Amino acid sequence: MIMMFGGLGAATQDRSPEWVAGMHELMMKLDTELKESGECVASEALANPSQAKTVRFEGGAPMPTDGPFAEVKESLAGYWILEVDQDRALQIASQVVAYTEYPMEVRPIMDHSAQP
Amino acid sequence: MTRPLPFEDLLREFAPQVLGALVRRHGQFDACEDAVQEALLAAALRWPAEGVPDRPRSWLLTVAGRALVDAWRADSARRRREATAALVPADQASAADEDSACVDRLDLGGTDRDDTLGLLFLCCHPALSPPSQLALTLRAVGGLTTAEIAAAFLVPDATVAKRISRAKQRIRDAGARFELPAQPLPRDRLAVVMQVLYLMFNEGYTTSSGPSLQRPDLTAEAIRLTRLLYRLLPDEAEVAGLLALMLLTDARRAARADATGRIVPLAEQQRELWDGAAIAEGQTVLTRTLGTGAIGQYQVQAAIAALHDEAPDAQATDWPQILALYGVLTTVAPGPIVTLSRAVAVAHVHGPRAALALLGTMDTDERMTHTHRLEAVRAHLLEQAGDIVAARASYLRAARMTANLPEQRYLALRAAQLRHATRPPR
Repeated sequence: MIMMFGGLGAATQDRSPEWVAGMHELMMKLDTELKESGECVASEALANPSQAKTVRFEGGAPMPTDGPFAEVKESLAGYWILEVDQDRALQIASQVVAYTEYPMEVRPIMDHSAQP
Repeated sequence: MTRPLPFEDLLREFAPQVLGALVRRHGQFDACEDAVQEALLAAALRWPAEGVPDRPRSWLLTVAGRALVDAWRADSARRRREATAALVPADQASAADEDSACVDRLDLGGTDRDDTLGLLFLCCHPALSPPSQLALTLRAVGGLTTAEIAAAFLVPDATVAKRISRAKQRIRDAGARFELPAQPLPRDRLAVVMQVLYLMFNEGYTTSSGPSLQRPDLTAEAIRLTRLLYRLLPDEAEVAGLLALMLLTDARRAARADATGRIVPLAEQQRELWDGAAIAEGQTVLTRTLGTGAIGQYQVQAAIAALHDEAPDAQATDWPQILALYGVLTTVAPGPIVTLSRAVAVAHVHGPRAALALLGTMDTDERMTHTHRLEAVRAHLLEQAGDIVAARASYLRAARMTANLPEQRYLALRAAQLRHATRPPR
């Protein structure tokens, strides 16, 4: 999985409209490419962290509160699930980071097959 | 699998007629619906190889009838009793006779219109939730497959399948009987039918962020079914209003998004991309209708859409007339979305400050706390009023509140455009 972080304004606070438009185009282009190559299994953009609710265990019971689990700037913004090796995943993430100058995480998804 | 078959239009046209004929004869909407699905599947599998039969509708009716009887036979004794009253041809020869006799008896040519109306009313039974009404209508009247409906709503096939089977169960449990709508027409049920079609249209009328071969054109389906309803009920002013509204709105579709899928607001749309034929048809339907019956929300909305569509450019739009129509709409169908749209018209006629004052009255409206729309309109108005700092903050707030990606990107971009406008020169 490749993960993007940040709420609106976090990665784009001072950017020009041309930059913002460019970022949208990059994300759409990448999305299309990865779907067409078959590397992308699934991908989603998440609603802004401000729309999240977090359920915590407080006072002996589950308690939902408004807001994301992590800080806004570190909150998950979206993900790609890709059928690729780590080098390729890092390469893809690097393409985005080169533009956004904001961190992305690459992590393997667990395998479920029964091991002898 | 994804390319429409040449006879797919035929299947979708006949599906509700066949279903209607079976349900009218046997009741048991859910069992009949299953049987019709089997017949459609059989047609999709066999017609490409064997060719389309001479009388495709009676072919479907025969196959569906047999599937129905087979299902009954496999079931309880109670159903077996009912099955003896149904058509059960023992061999091919008598099947043909039974078939034509069946067709004659049911007089499909004359009654198919009534059956579809009854079907529509049944699918919009108040015991069902709106998403269920929608899914069932698409299936039973629209003739869409489970996969097509799922693709349209971007949910898994299994979700739609479950929703439809639960919906059919609820209809059965509610004891709903398939019958021609009584005269005079049950107004509340007709209102629900129109609501379902309007919902269908709105679901389809969203900016897609890329081409999708599997996604049926929901707006086209909504228009097709509304056209059908209009044909069945030519004297219902609101049905005509709904059709006109859909035509006049869908006419702008090509201009709503640019090549990259970005939203283009009405004022900035390239009007030469609008569908002139659809606009003309919508205007004709509307003109023919206005004044013939009680004024209703769809007629008024259609009249507003017509005013937009007939303006050669944004500046030529007759905003005072549009504002007057929103005044009518506020009395006919009040609601926060109407007030929002009216505010936009107020801005064009009386300036953004007057419109902002109107929005201020909505701040305590609970219905608006979970939608980004109020904030988005406020942002546009603040920008028009020259309050750039507040406008940018509003755009960002709205962008954070929306769950629609193209909408979010549009609002974020507008915020970015203002960011640079407020920057002091270096």
